[in-house]
Amino acid sequence: MIEARGVTKFFSVVNDDRTADGITAVLSASLTIERGKFVSLLGPSGCGKSTFLEMLGGLSAPTEGAVFIDGIQVLETLPATRKETIKYRRKYWFLSPLANHMFKNKPKHDIAMIFQDYAVFPWMTVMKNVTFALKLRGVPRSERQGIALEYLKKVGLDHALGKYPSQLSGGMRQRLALARALAVKPKVILMDEPFAAVDTLTRERLQDELLILIKESDITIVMVTHDVKEALYLSDEVVVFSANPGQIRNTFTIDVPHPRRRHDDGLNEIHARIEALLKYDINHESEYVI
Amino acid sequence: MISDKYKLRKPQRFLFAVLRELGFFFKGALGNLFSLEFLMVLVPLLVLWEVLPRYGITGPIIPPFSVVVSTFWHLLTNRGFLHDIGDSMYTFFRGVGLAVLVAIPLGLLTGWNEGIRKRILPLFQLLAPIPAPAWVPITIFLFGIGTPMQVFLIFLGAFYPILFNTFQAVKDTDGRYLASARAFGASEFTLLTRVYFWSALGAIIMSVRTGVSAGLVMLLVAEMYGGNTGIGFVMNEAQSFFQIPVVVASMMTLGIIGWFLIEVLKFLELKLAVWKGGR
Repeated sequence: MIEARGVTKFFSVVNDDRTADGITAVLSASLTIERGKFVSLLGPSGCGKSTFLEMLGGLSAPTEGAVFIDGIQVLETLPATRKETIKYRRKYWFLSPLANHMFKNKPKHDIAMIFQDYAVFPWMTVMKNVTFALKLRGVPRSERQGIALEYLKKVGLDHALGKYPSQLSGGMRQRLALARALAVKPKVILMDEPFAAVDTLTRERLQDELLILIKESDITIVMVTHDVKEALYLSDEVVVFSANPGQIRNTFTIDVPHPRRRHDDGLNEIHARIEALLKYDINHESEYVI
Repeated sequence: MISDKYKLRKPQRFLFAVLRELGFFFKGALGNLFSLEFLMVLVPLLVLWEVLPRYGITGPIIPPFSVVVSTFWHLLTNRGFLHDIGDSMYTFFRGVGLAVLVAIPLGLLTGWNEGIRKRILPLFQLLAPIPAPAWVPITIFLFGIGTPMQVFLIFLGAFYPILFNTFQAVKDTDGRYLASARAFGASEFTLLTRVYFWSALGAIIMSVRTGVSAGLVMLLVAEMYGGNTGIGFVMNEAQSFFQIPVVVASMMTLGIIGWFLIEVLKFLELKLAVWKGGR
């Protein structure tokens, strides 16, 4: 179970005229995600949904509030006062708060991440990418090849084991990222616009493949997207964000059972409601923009 | 089915692989030099170099090309120039090797960790602007005239470019590689050896190329100031005896050595960064 309690992220910036300013990327977002759910974070570009996902995954610390995965806090909240800042700096003077351990390969939380531009390691072959991830999870050497092959077969990459990512197409690279994330059998997969960089046909095929892959598992998936149809087709819950500042506007539960049709009546109705909500926010956005 | 008769034994296969790689190397390296396009420029230049000094158009100082070549041959056969080249290269590789061994780990550490960076890097940023030849007097006082002083000077020349370029490349490592590796559970040491290093490898080899160029400069400086062997020494001696063909032949030797080393590094880069290639 993932729990975000009043998570806020604030960035200090410097304007063009050298005056100091701040951006509130996420404002007081609270969310509870049950085990095994597929949740989409939906919103216009720059609404802070990616920042929110980073905080869920422990890639950046929240300015206020906290995120818990199975009751364990993901990252310490950033210091607010001067005194706290000094203490924080002293605590993390050598290793950054994001670091796992100096020499021991052990994840802090049982999660895997998938990014829009894949983030598979270009200096490792397809096979090596997966076995490396398994090695980091402490899978013994003798079992790595077998598990990697099993998952690469599932995504249809078993013919390209010795190839490097630069020799693969965008869709194949995303399949590799998917296989690598699933092979370590994580409790949670966080995806940041995973299908945004591929063409529409490939995207729809990847969506179907993803649904087949996770059908009989209880992996919790949190996906950031700006595609309403994608969110509706895949997820159990859609969380709609508004921009400036990024806030959770509404949460839609989708009860339509899988396999879904892309133009289901129930989905279309929620689609219209979400679109109206997003349009309302865009029309009233000018109030916040200076 | 290929019968066992036609399969090569392991040492033979290894030899074939080495020969093939050597073939690729020389094809790549000499291919640029002996391409038709460049020969159309090189040959007229050499002809001009031969003809102009012979008719005294360029004055009495510049020797014709053929004289330089025959002097080079004379140096090799009668004056043990090969020994000088060997000595120079031995010193050079010790200096550059030391620089690589110290600068790359240091660059990795400073690029990886802000705590280390803030404590160590400013020192080198203060020392680096001192031109390496300015270290000659103090080095001679410290080490005396001889090989240790030469090695140290070459080390100084090659060290800073390798350190700063490695540091910058490691620091610029894409955050998403780090994020996904950390999510899988990578320790910081694993990140250093398996992510940061490989992500920065191209820039590291580039920095070694810069270091080799700077090291050659310092090789010449070191040998001209102190030593009784080496290319720089031969050049210095020839200068004092006014043997201009010897000076020019030494210059050409240095040029060829530098060109060869850069080609070797280019080849190494191609081999190590095979994953960078297109489809």
